Amino acid sequence: MDTDLNSISYLSLNYDHQPVLDHFDSALSSIVSSPSTAPPPPGPTNSLVIRELIGRLGTICNNNKSLAAGGDHSTNTSCYSTPLSSPPKSSLHSIPSMNPNSMPFPPDQGFTERAARMSCFGSGPHMAVSGQLSRVSSSQSLMDAGMTGGAQLEGELTVQESGGGANNGRKRKAGVKGKGKEASLASSGTANSKMSEEDPSAKRCKPDCKVGGKKGGVEEKNSNSSENNNDDRENKNENDSDNTDSKLAEPPKDYIHVRARRGQATDSHSLAERVRREKISERMKLLQDLVPGCNKVTGKAVMLDEIINYVQSLQHQVEFLSMKLATVDAPEDCNMDNLLRKDMHQACDRSMQQAVYPSAFPYPNQPQAGPLNSLLTANSISNMGMQPASNLPFDGFGNTSAQIGGFWEDDLQSVVQMGFVQNQEGALSSQSFQGSGPSSSDMKIEL
Amino acid sequence: MASIPSSSSSPSPSQPKARKKPGQTTSPPPPPQTKWRTGTQERLYSRRLVDALQATRDRAQPPESVGSRAVKEAADSALAMTARGQSRWSRAILFNRNSCRKRVLVKAGGKIRRHRRKHQAIPPAMEGAGATSGVLKERKVKERLKKLGRIVPGCKKLPAATLLEEAADYVAALEMQVRTMRVLAEALSAAAVSVPEEEEMEIAEQGS
Repeated sequence: MDTDLNSISYLSLNYDHQPVLDHFDSALSSIVSSPSTAPPPPGPTNSLVIRELIGRLGTICNNNKSLAAGGDHSTNTSCYSTPLSSPPKSSLHSIPSMNPNSMPFPPDQGFTERAARMSCFGSGPHMAVSGQLSRVSSSQSLMDAGMTGGAQLEGELTVQESGGGANNGRKRKAGVKGKGKEASLASSGTANSKMSEEDPSAKRCKPDCKVGGKKGGVEEKNSNSSENNNDDRENKNENDSDNTDSKLAEPPKDYIHVRARRGQATDSHSLAERVRREKISERMKLLQDLVPGCNKVTGKAVMLDEIINYVQSLQHQVEFLSMKLATVDAPEDCNMDNLLRKDMHQACDRSMQQAVYPSAFPYPNQPQAGPLNSLLTANSISNMGMQPASNLPFDGFGNTSAQIGGFWEDDLQSVVQMGFVQNQEGALSSQSFQGSGPSSSDMKIEL
Repeated sequence: MASIPSSSSSPSPSQPKARKKPGQTTSPPPPPQTKWRTGTQERLYSRRLVDALQATRDRAQPPESVGSRAVKEAADSALAMTARGQSRWSRAILFNRNSCRKRVLVKAGGKIRRHRRKHQAIPPAMEGAGATSGVLKERKVKERLKKLGRIVPGCKKLPAATLLEEAADYVAALEMQVRTMRVLAEALSAAAVSVPEEEEMEIAEQGS
């Protein structure tokens, strides 16, 4: 027993961090939350702690089994980050041997899993453990090949790890996904015929650790132990000490909850980076929809090129059209008004869903009012119907420039609420009208 | 181009970023396509455009020669106004009308840099050093982002995400502007065509 305990303790204590499980008492949590330190030498106190641990693990195992779907576990296997040095390996080997002998408590099977999981609650950059972990599981599976207990252990492993993996502490975006996966995993685990093989166990370990995200890809990875090591390393990188703390407390925090994806590092920096990248790709997709001809293009650089070209072409078009508008006559005529209204009708109908223009405007033509003015009034009327908020002082179509200026002022103030209206008008007036406009008789513009 | 039924037609002053204040009840901002393609927006803009054009013409110098640049700026200001100042580019357009020169002067400490420094010379030199394809690609992307930032008004020094958002809005707005101006130009030119004809006919009638 002592050897067992010692080995267990070694197993658990060699990891820099003790796992923190929700169901654990504060003692455990305190142990777990401590950042990676040198593993405490096994001693009497340690063994006591270990026994406690084991007991708790047992309870937790049971609880986790029942709560596998509950998703309250902070016992995340996703953090296989504690460095498993070589001794644990031996201890682990010893553990399976212990299994048939005397794990006095039923949660033995769960325990090894727990112990293994403890390793992962390390913080930050401990790479070694993950590999060890897989080895643990694989070794266990090997050992268990001949033992029924092993099979169960595997099952336990999967179950618990899936339970633990259900919630990556603060990283909780799509818990359903993870849970669903865990359920399937658990079922597969328990029903296991392949228990004795390395790969499935390793597979199960991994998926449980990395919840959510890329299941398929990871499972492929999981088939290779070497890759497993890498993946575990990545998993280890997932959880900083902050994460463990947060998992401990599981407080509702204010920041954006991001689900750590499978096979991806999850320390805070890379998380933020990933969020940022996702935002950017989202916006790029939006732009892709806007800019015609960008669907075929892949890659940011080329797409950005396309977008730039498109914007430039649009701006050129605006310039060209403005030049055209500048040269167009605006004779004052009723026919003109009707024409314009009709044209606007057509344009509006083409591009808009509603045709709002009244058919006739029984107002006289002001000397200053031209077709543009009628357009204006038509637009205003329709707009007033549409947008009561933008109330224009629409006084009988007596459009003087002052009134037009008034329109500007109203809009400006409503929009910007700054006192730059005068400046605006001043700026407009101070525009140096380039003499590029053709000054032929066509240019006679009357409004 | 298919016009999407206006999900949120009026550009209400609700702040787009829901994540800034999670407690806010404002709906997330409409995507630029829907926002700028609603009939309301077009009418709004056309009205404003007409206003602006009239104002420009009124302010035009006695020779009644309206510069195309003035028209363009009026059109842009109208567009920016229609955006209701919610987007950076619109604010940049509206504000920079005033103090374009002043800003430059203040920024440059009195010296106006006519020529932008040739930053292009530097990256090629650095590319030799960091010859990883990933680094190169990153640089390309960054260059293009900067270029985009220069094109979109008021987006020179923006982070990529914001810049792309602004660019999307700007593209949609530009599309609407082009559409409206084209219609207007066609209408006016058609009217212009018809009027001289009428005048000629009148003259002919009078003459005969």
